[in-house]
Amino acid sequence: MSFLLLLLPPLASALLAAIVRPYRAAVGWANAGLSLVSLAGAVALWVAVLGGEVPVAGPDDLLRADALSTLLALCVSGVATLAAWLGPGLADDGWDARQARRFRVFANLFAFTMLFAVTTDNVGFMWVAIEATTITSALLIPLHRSRASVEASWKYVLIGSVGIALAFAGTVLAYFDFVTLVGRETVALNWTVLRDAAPALNPRVIQLAFVFILIGYGTKAGLAPMHTWLPDAHSEAPAALSAMMSGVLLAVALYAVVRWQAVVRAAVGTGFAENMIVLLGVLSLAIGSLSLVAQRNYKRLLAYSSIEHTGLVCVGLALGPLGIFAAMLHLLNHSVAKSMMFLLAGRVLHRYRTAEIHGVSGLLRVMPWTGGLFAAGMLAVVGLPPFGLFVSEFALVRAGFVAGRPALIALVLALLAIGFVGVISHLNRMLYGAPPEDVATGEPSRWALIPLGGCLAALFVLGVTVPAAVSGLLTRIATIVAP
Amino acid sequence: MQSLFAQLVVLQSSLVLIFGLVLLWRRRVPAYVNAFTWQSIVLAGVAATVGWFGGERELYLIACLLFVVKGMAIPRLLGRMERRFTSESELAPYVNTATSLLIAGVLVLFGYAVMRPVVAASELPTRAGMPLAMGLVLVSLFVVVSRKKALTQVVGFLMLENGIALLAILGTYGIPLIVELGVFLDALMGFLVMQIFVYRIHETFDTMDVDQLDRLRH
Amino acid sequence: MTAVLVQLAQLALALTLAPGLVGTLRWLKARLQNRRGAPAWQPYFELRKLFGKEVVVSENASWIFRAAPFVVFAAAVAVAALLPWLAVPTPLDAVGDLLVVVYLLLLGTFFLALAGLDPGSAFGGMGSSREMTISALAEPTVALAIFALALGAGSTNLGQIVARTMTNPGAALSPGHLLAFAALFVVMLAETGRLPIDNPATHLELTMIHEAMVLEYSGRYLALIEWASALKLLVFFALLGNLFVPWGVAVALTPGALALAVASLLVKLAVLAVAVAVLETRVAKLRLFRVPELLSASFVLALLAVTSSFLAR
Repeated sequence: MSFLLLLLPPLASALLAAIVRPYRAAVGWANAGLSLVSLAGAVALWVAVLGGEVPVAGPDDLLRADALSTLLALCVSGVATLAAWLGPGLADDGWDARQARRFRVFANLFAFTMLFAVTTDNVGFMWVAIEATTITSALLIPLHRSRASVEASWKYVLIGSVGIALAFAGTVLAYFDFVTLVGRETVALNWTVLRDAAPALNPRVIQLAFVFILIGYGTKAGLAPMHTWLPDAHSEAPAALSAMMSGVLLAVALYAVVRWQAVVRAAVGTGFAENMIVLLGVLSLAIGSLSLVAQRNYKRLLAYSSIEHTGLVCVGLALGPLGIFAAMLHLLNHSVAKSMMFLLAGRVLHRYRTAEIHGVSGLLRVMPWTGGLFAAGMLAVVGLPPFGLFVSEFALVRAGFVAGRPALIALVLALLAIGFVGVISHLNRMLYGAPPEDVATGEPSRWALIPLGGCLAALFVLGVTVPAAVSGLLTRIATIVAP
Repeated sequence: MQSLFAQLVVLQSSLVLIFGLVLLWRRRVPAYVNAFTWQSIVLAGVAATVGWFGGERELYLIACLLFVVKGMAIPRLLGRMERRFTSESELAPYVNTATSLLIAGVLVLFGYAVMRPVVAASELPTRAGMPLAMGLVLVSLFVVVSRKKALTQVVGFLMLENGIALLAILGTYGIPLIVELGVFLDALMGFLVMQIFVYRIHETFDTMDVDQLDRLRH
Repeated sequence: MTAVLVQLAQLALALTLAPGLVGTLRWLKARLQNRRGAPAWQPYFELRKLFGKEVVVSENASWIFRAAPFVVFAAAVAVAALLPWLAVPTPLDAVGDLLVVVYLLLLGTFFLALAGLDPGSAFGGMGSSREMTISALAEPTVALAIFALALGAGSTNLGQIVARTMTNPGAALSPGHLLAFAALFVVMLAETGRLPIDNPATHLELTMIHEAMVLEYSGRYLALIEWASALKLLVFFALLGNLFVPWGVAVALTPGALALAVASLLVKLAVLAVAVAVLETRVAKLRLFRVPELLSASFVLALLAVTSSFLAR
């Protein structure tokens, strides 16, 4: 039931947007309403998981929501709700009806594929769904057709598809390993079955499979050195789509990595998967932080910050149960913070008509509320208290010391400091100074600030305390991945 | 019987790989489309062979799908694109032809090296072909990164998928049918989206040369 | 004693057959191109005519220029003596090694290139440099293809390879075998100066290779070189035919088996000649800078051949 509640609304919204012609604003409102239903489905799963059960549905346990799936489902449906309310056609009104319809159709399909990817137990279908996220989101990047957006979407489609194809090769190898040992079974691609069979699997084969899987899903998660598509795609996409891609698509790809990490861990013990993940994580962190300093474009700034945070999550995944707790908390915080930031950046772009940092000045005077939220959000993103990312980064540092990796932690902190300096200097330039003459003052569609303010409030709450409902979920995830 | 099966499968797999190497040696897009078509047809043949000797009925369906979708439908669409952009050929790839071929040889060897534990783990008569499938995966990957024309990259990507399909057929006699169908759908949709973008790149940049895509840097 | 007689007969057969093969090939190509063409025995007349003509030697030429035709011809004859044309094992089985064959052929090529350089003419130098480039590129392919065959047979001995393939017919269809065949076929085209690498039908092109090297030769020297290169073509055809499809080669020296061996050899040569003639009619000559690409393609084929024979063991 909760699964239907979670998965059907996005499909219904997409269908509605596709068949209602000509496009009306009502379609957008229906989408916004249905997105709340989907969110309610995720919350129902949350309640069920906290109650100690693991909801399962469909033939051969097609759908299964343990704590890990539930966290991701919450993030995805939450960000999809934000995008539905604040996307083209409702709060974001710079689009004609055709563009608005295209957005509603594909953004909802995009949300559906992500939700399906995180709630299916079958790693084959998980792959199919993640591959489908590329297809559904790529068509939305050039919503405004320009040379830059066509270029960005080509890179995204090609690198994304090729990367994800490698993940499929890894999946096939893992399935091969299972079939060779146990025999052909239809449930052999079920994650639960694979994980339970893992101790008997051939370690060399599963290691090879994981290399492909990590490179494949890592490409989709924007891990360096496969990250080259990410800044382009995230900066050229319309704000609502950027929010979904940066806020949750990266998390969904990491989710796939974590699932496989658990299998590999059960098969060959800790060490192998963790070392590879931490290597890519540190590399991403380094490239993300260093690129932040040199950025001239604030949407690209946010995109590189996503690479940095994805790297951070990866580092956490390698630091034992405490690290996994911290990583998942960071994932949640990043989803909230980054989707808010991209939506705010969309408002800034709409007013200033440029994504260049030097083209934006006096933001606090032009749009006081947007500017204020933007400033607070940036501080949250760089990991200052009292916001959630500070807490998760702190937890991660602690996990590093507990795991006995002080050198790694020192490196991480140094890189974070570089990123911090880079972002803050850019932020100052945008907030203060005299606004350009041709830019009007005042907030457009004021009500849109309410959900964005809500995001900041959520970050604040997560920064002050980790509610029991969240920590319960995260503890369960830690035991799933590192039992 | 078993040795005939093994021989036949390895022979067909070698052919599949060699059609992949054509991408590195030829320069004109029609040659790529032909190579891809024949590769897909031979791949369908592999599926049918494994289905026959291995007694897997589902593989016949896979063979038919491979033949219809990758052997006929996609080549037709590729052909249409190619006729639209007749002047586009791969004259100056990032890595020249002779070096590319040598690199491809090394990659195939590397494929053999990484697949050693996999081949050692298997008892199937088809196992000897698996390194060739891995070789094709690596070679196609190399094609995608070393060629400049969008259309070449698309064909490289399609061949990468063929390599993985070959791996699945040889290693496990095919993944579960229902998942396979999903994969097929994805492959087809992915190709269609890529096709849309190839047209768009051509419209907006007047070339398929992705070297021209340089507006977004750092 | 019979064995020695058979051996001599094989050699005589090879020497007489060689110009005929070239003639047949020319005639086939002519027919495929809708021309009547000279009869297949035309090369014999040409050889006789050349042997009767006076030799003109450039005054800048050294002894190498005079010695080269004999070395080239001797190398070709030596190779022909080692090959299992009709029966295995040959009396020279102990030295009948594939590596010996290849390097004897290379010796001939080397001297021909030297002779091209010797008189100091522009064309000769150009041809020699091109010939050596191609030889150098073809060399690794040949070595690898031999290695692939040797892995299958467990020996580089020609007789062994033939015998092994005959006892295990499935091996002839193995990918290693087929890939090695394909690689050697390309090398054969390169080494014997056929299309698409070199055009044997003309010496009026700036891109010619073999013809450029021998441009300075005349009279009986030219006759020897032409005969040697015809023999080289025949040797390559016989290698491809007998090593990869050994059936028909006599294992016992009975008249029946030998007759069958002669017939099967002629059939194999005919099939290969038709294949080459069709190929030469269909393809255009490659631009010179694409030749290395073709040869590296054949190298990759040979590499694949080795890897798959190595795995099949």
